[in-house]
Amino acid sequence: MKIVLHRLQLKDKLLGVIVPILVLGAWQYSVSQKLCSELILIPPLTLLKTLVELAQSGDLTLNILASLKRVLIGFLLGGTSGFVIGIFMALSPLLNRIFGPLIKALQQVPEFAWMPLIIMFLGIDEFAKFFFVAIGAFYPMVFNTYQGVSGVPEKYHELARVFEFKRFRYLTKVIIPCALPSIITGIRLSLGLSWMFVVGAELFGSDSGVGYLMTWGRSVFQIDLVMAGLVLVGVIGFVMNVILEIGEKQFLLWREPVNGRHA
Amino acid sequence: MSNNKGTLEIRNLSKSFIVDNSSLQILNNINITFKSGSFVSIVGSSGCGKTTLLRIMLGLENHYDGEALMDGKQIVGPGTNRGIVFQDHRLLPWLTVGENIAFGLDKLKKKEKKLLVDEHLQLVGLNGFESAYPSQLSGGMAQRVAIARALANKPEILLLDEPLGALDALTRMYMQKELERLWLLEKITMIMVTHDVEEAIYLSDKVVIMSSRPGIIKKIIDVSSSRPRDRASSEFMQIKAEILEEFHLGTEYPFAYAI
Amino acid sequence: MKMFDSYKKTKKILGAIALPIALITLWQLITLGEFSATRFLPSPYKVLQTFVTLFSKPDYVHHIAVSLQRVMAGFLIGSVTGIAFGLLMGLSKTVEKIFAPFFHAIRQVPMIGWIPLIIMLFGMNELPRVLIISVAAFYPITLNTFAGVRNVPNEYFELASVNGYKGLKLIGKIIIPASLPSINTGITTGLAMSWSILMVAEIFIQTAFGVGTQIQRGRDRFDIALVIAGIITVGVLGYSMTLLVQKIVKAVERGRAVSTD
Repeated sequence: MKIVLHRLQLKDKLLGVIVPILVLGAWQYSVSQKLCSELILIPPLTLLKTLVELAQSGDLTLNILASLKRVLIGFLLGGTSGFVIGIFMALSPLLNRIFGPLIKALQQVPEFAWMPLIIMFLGIDEFAKFFFVAIGAFYPMVFNTYQGVSGVPEKYHELARVFEFKRFRYLTKVIIPCALPSIITGIRLSLGLSWMFVVGAELFGSDSGVGYLMTWGRSVFQIDLVMAGLVLVGVIGFVMNVILEIGEKQFLLWREPVNGRHA
Repeated sequence: MSNNKGTLEIRNLSKSFIVDNSSLQILNNINITFKSGSFVSIVGSSGCGKTTLLRIMLGLENHYDGEALMDGKQIVGPGTNRGIVFQDHRLLPWLTVGENIAFGLDKLKKKEKKLLVDEHLQLVGLNGFESAYPSQLSGGMAQRVAIARALANKPEILLLDEPLGALDALTRMYMQKELERLWLLEKITMIMVTHDVEEAIYLSDKVVIMSSRPGIIKKIIDVSSSRPRDRASSEFMQIKAEILEEFHLGTEYPFAYAI
Repeated sequence: MKMFDSYKKTKKILGAIALPIALITLWQLITLGEFSATRFLPSPYKVLQTFVTLFSKPDYVHHIAVSLQRVMAGFLIGSVTGIAFGLLMGLSKTVEKIFAPFFHAIRQVPMIGWIPLIIMLFGMNELPRVLIISVAAFYPITLNTFAGVRNVPNEYFELASVNGYKGLKLIGKIIIPASLPSINTGITTGLAMSWSILMVAEIFIQTAFGVGTQIQRGRDRFDIALVIAGIITVGVLGYSMTLLVQKIVKAVERGRAVSTD
């Protein structure tokens, strides 16, 4: 049974490669047959070469690190405040009444609309970027934390009362673990948006970072640089997601029903 | 533990809920004493307030008239001198069996905690399951962990709210034997709410029969036959008939009366 | 009891507006004082004034109309293709196996990352703007449609096959109604995404018209009142659109008597 399953998965994976290969093939073909200008559509191999060159010159690491630093700081700022406010809002009806409507109202504004305002107040330096990323990280975190914590069933509240739990222990042993699936969803969404906002902030104005790489490529009309940036943006976003998924599995081991169930 | 600890007294207790502006009486003038070290069952149809009564003893319900005294002192809230086993095992799914048992043992040192957990795992016959998660356990096992968690706090009274209600018939009978064994071993007061008359007779020194609307104590029946009890004995059957009669389910009544 | 209810309601409303009122008052006070921020920060009153002036001119309404048109075009393209693609992937495991990995790989690139490339490929035109908005709607709608179709309970399929439902009848009578709640979630999310990306499209792909353009223009002229008025406009419009779509979606669901559970 296991072997059959394995084979099936391999076949599935092969099916999944068809489209990318076709796209790459058509792309390479159209360039080699001069169907369109190399200035507009560079061949995949040139893209690969550009990436290698960027890596060799050290530009790649430099810009990736710059972006990662921004994403991390912005995410920590926005995510942490979202987490804390979410918990407080879920536990205190008063705070929920005070902050809930304001946060909901502010959420109606598309995040990128804040960018011009932020730049006017804070300039276009590092701090403005952190701030902008933090806005993106904040919303999913505050909503998912709120939802998770307010969804803790009454029966667990009762249990904590019966065992005479103090506030802090109640929070760490019951509320947060119970809300964890929702909080982790928040973290994932939050980090994903942070990444998008970093790239956006860098496109808007920056002298380093993956987004900068793309703007620069555009301004010197080097489409290979733009596409290299695009690939980097996708790959880094993907890797962050994979890391989070692994972390999630570790944290939520208890949710997995085990195969050999005891009767 | 001194012998007369674990006495629970209910005096002139009444409770009503407010539903849609009108008050609905749940419990009406309840008077009963649960003696130290006894096993008492409370039976009654659903809605008779037996679970509310248990929650009052536990300290989760605080607004009522009358008194609920634990060893002579008014109950004002939950306390670790009263353990509880709910019908749903209420284990925390993100904690292992061991961590669940240690749930109320926070004040103890790590070593003492481990000792108590081991002792209670052994007690309920689940050695080796310490690091399993609740989702890996069967219903009966999960309920045994819940019992171990309640007993680990060394309560003077163990309150059981239909503890075996969610189990299948065979597991249930086995768990009744287990409960009896634990009671004989721990020598603490156990108060159980159930709607299974046989279960109540099998386990209890006293069976309290409640009727609904408003919840009152209709009758208290002493069961004094020797343990372990034989469900097929004539004495057992007689007591069962006596209890069922209180619910108008006795054999001499035409069946239509039951409805 | 009635009075108690209205008291509770009043309390709720008061709680909701307490913080905004406090913040606006603080804002007004700061701008009244001699703080250095005055130079930058217009008073709430000034913003209100700007707002009134803006709406008294047909210009601004035109900007709004252009933005709405842009969003609707992109959203419509994105939802039609998204529902179709999600249905196909949901119905056929083969289609899923062929396209899903590629779809998920492409999806890893944040929307904003495409901007420089599509500008280079299409220029600063209306096409890339609408395109990126439709892609923003496409992702969540595809995903939710797919999930909805895959989560149709097997019991329904059994029921359908017992009653001889096949092909289009099966899709129209069983699969689509059963996955409607999920599709609707996708549509609501997709609309929110479209609206959000509209700002990206209007700020990054320069254009003469649109609310986003107005915000950007406010920044260029260092007219913070204009920027704030633009932000408020965008928020209110987005919210109204979300409400409208949610109403429609609910009406459709009720009409179909599909439970959201």
